[in-house]
Amino acid sequence: MFKKLIKIFNCGFVFGISFLLVCPLANSADFPKKTIKIIACAAAGGGEDTEARGIAPYLEKYLGVSVMIENQPGAGGKIAFEKFQKTEPDGYTLITYTFPKSIIIEYMDKTNFRTKDFTPVFAWSRANQLLVVHADTWKTSDEFLKAAKAKTLAGGLSGRGSTTHLAGLVAMDELGIKVNWVPYEGAAGSVAALAGKHLDFTICLATSAISLIQAGMLRPLILFGDKRDPYFPDVPVPKDLGLDITSIPGTRGVEAPPKTPASIVKVLEEACSKAVKEPAFIEFAKRRQMVLHPLSSQEFRQIVEVTYPKVEKFQTMLKEK
Amino acid sequence: MNTFDMVIQAIYSILQWQNLAALMAGMIYGIIIGVLPGLGPSAGMALALPLVLKWPPATALIFMGSLYKCSNYGGSITAILVNAPGDASNAATILDGYPMCEKGKGGVALALSSTAAMVGGTIGMICLIFSAPFLAHFALRFGPAEYFLTALLALSIIAAVVQGATLKGLIAAGLGLMLSTVGFDVITGHLRYTFGWEPIEDGIPLIQALVGLFAITQALMLAESAESISRIGKLAGGFWEGVITYFKYPYAIIRAAVIGLFIGVLPAVGQSSAGLLAWAEAKRESKHPETFGNGDPEGVISSETSTNACMPGDLVCTIALGIPGSIGAAIFLGVMIIFGVVPGPLVFREKANIIYSLFVALVLTSFLMFFIGMTIAKHFAAITLLRNEVIVPIILVVSLLGSFAIRNLMADVIISLAFGILGYIMLKGGFTPVPLLLGLVLGEMVEYNYHRALMISGGSYSIFYSSVISKILIFLTLLSLAGPYLGPVWKKLTQGEK
Repeated sequence: MFKKLIKIFNCGFVFGISFLLVCPLANSADFPKKTIKIIACAAAGGGEDTEARGIAPYLEKYLGVSVMIENQPGAGGKIAFEKFQKTEPDGYTLITYTFPKSIIIEYMDKTNFRTKDFTPVFAWSRANQLLVVHADTWKTSDEFLKAAKAKTLAGGLSGRGSTTHLAGLVAMDELGIKVNWVPYEGAAGSVAALAGKHLDFTICLATSAISLIQAGMLRPLILFGDKRDPYFPDVPVPKDLGLDITSIPGTRGVEAPPKTPASIVKVLEEACSKAVKEPAFIEFAKRRQMVLHPLSSQEFRQIVEVTYPKVEKFQTMLKEK
Repeated sequence: MNTFDMVIQAIYSILQWQNLAALMAGMIYGIIIGVLPGLGPSAGMALALPLVLKWPPATALIFMGSLYKCSNYGGSITAILVNAPGDASNAATILDGYPMCEKGKGGVALALSSTAAMVGGTIGMICLIFSAPFLAHFALRFGPAEYFLTALLALSIIAAVVQGATLKGLIAAGLGLMLSTVGFDVITGHLRYTFGWEPIEDGIPLIQALVGLFAITQALMLAESAESISRIGKLAGGFWEGVITYFKYPYAIIRAAVIGLFIGVLPAVGQSSAGLLAWAEAKRESKHPETFGNGDPEGVISSETSTNACMPGDLVCTIALGIPGSIGAAIFLGVMIIFGVVPGPLVFREKANIIYSLFVALVLTSFLMFFIGMTIAKHFAAITLLRNEVIVPIILVVSLLGSFAIRNLMADVIISLAFGILGYIMLKGGFTPVPLLLGLVLGEMVEYNYHRALMISGGSYSIFYSSVISKILIFLTLLSLAGPYLGPVWKKLTQGEK
């Protein structure tokens, strides 16, 4: 009896090994002939990463090859961007990040890459920055602003040079508030610290705090954008409050290396635009409370162009401290 | 419905054939991923995601959960047999597991790790099932000041580790702390000591350094002689001897499980330190600390029990708050969201059936791991009988391939080789790598949280002792530092009274 059991286990092992060998098989004709790699400029599990992993299966469906996500965090993505500038423009290596992170880095640091040079392929979502406080503290943005003017509050910063960093700097500058910024490696750290009341507030992407907001532990006060977020219809945007804050939309999508041929971009763009219409992907987006906001390659390029001067305006503030 | 009812219901759902099959497949896949160097739980889950996307949520999460759990176990196999950790969390298993192999007790060591997977995993899971929301709220009370003090307490264990060779130990610990400062400074945004070399802008990569310090160093040592890993040329002791040995250390088991769970529950403390801290703590409390690192079974028991209890601990904040505790947990969180199970305080109400099925599956996985270990231990342990001229090239190739595969960077191979040479020199000079490792793992946590705490308090040091948790942590740290001196005094006093 015992020997038999052992034999069953051994068989299982052989099965497992062959399973592993068969996994990466994929094939197709013409352009996508091998695995396409999407570099996510964030640690695994972050917003960019999860969205890329969410869309990947549907990209696979329309491209006919497997799509692999490679995480390359670090220095806010600088390492990945530098490498990407020199990547072979064959369409097999793409990059995903929260735009305009790369432009911020260009202004903060001496870099060899230019976001302008990258070839936009498609953008699928818009990430909104939220100002979040603990539910036990301020109830409205007015209360918060009054408190923030009375004393310097401690605000969580998820990653230096991130879009959140920029949004926070811009907002607090235009509101005339001084903040004691406390940097974290990512949103998880600052959201946890806020939930434990170690920070007064944090600015983060809406998706990073959703669980705790739904549970009523954290309260969103302001959503930095032009339009309200369909998933947070009660959270006012600056316009509703009579405030004027420059909004720099956080856009997520994929880009190809500089000088990628138009024919390849077209194949990828088409696959992306079909993938975002997949009911299963729309369902996935809904569950993640992702705001779908598809942009074609052309529209994405325009956004890149108009964002440069906006970031330039705040470049000295980014470099401070 | 209370927790017990939920668990009973979940047991019924687990017993459906597709869920059992998913569980088995996940385990086998996980162990293979774990054994292969460079492929950890994160890569394993990411690779398997497209495969399970169409499965029902409960089945898919059971597959992913058992994969996540077993990859850790797979890592301990290579750690014990060839001195190469599959993942950073297995680092401490090497310290005694490999020397046991040298004594021909490879099979026994594997039995210890299988039993630890079962016992540690089950203890951790029971705590997760019955007290996750409570533990998660406890974890939230840890702010930067408390994290700083926790790291300090952990560092104070170095004092115990270096006993006997204090100076050399402190040099190694200092080197570890220095190396931990390399790379991008999250607080100031500056690059430190990178000399323009991009591969270390993220800091010294931990697994690559471990591969160097242990596997490469050991391969160099083995190359000096023409024997085999097992010095006696045969295997001594069987599987059941290991199992019996395991249960001879009930105190060590509980201590290690508590440490592992604690480290796991805190979201900002790396999983890699769980095994190391449990090992160091066991050494400190032992009556014969000199046997640690020379094949003391208690070392393997502590390290493996702690690591296996750490994984459920890691899931506490991930599931109860939606805040991932480690990279592996972050991926698992992403997977859960994709299957419509959004972790957070509400998940226990809204998706209770799926969550409890997952929990029960993980408990079952812990037990099945034991049986798998039983089946394979003898066959795997035979590796230690291979002659050195055969095994050395294999260790070198496989471990270097592994460190390359993590980031697809040739530079990582260079890092591993550099640490291999460093480890060789240290070993020849009578240094142990443990303090270096502790410094490397804990350095960032000490530094960043110190900065953050002072930023929040506006420069006032009172933040470090204002909360109750801080006071307890300070007390424990002082006790840990003074322990070696107070111990003899205490003994004298109590004996004097008699």
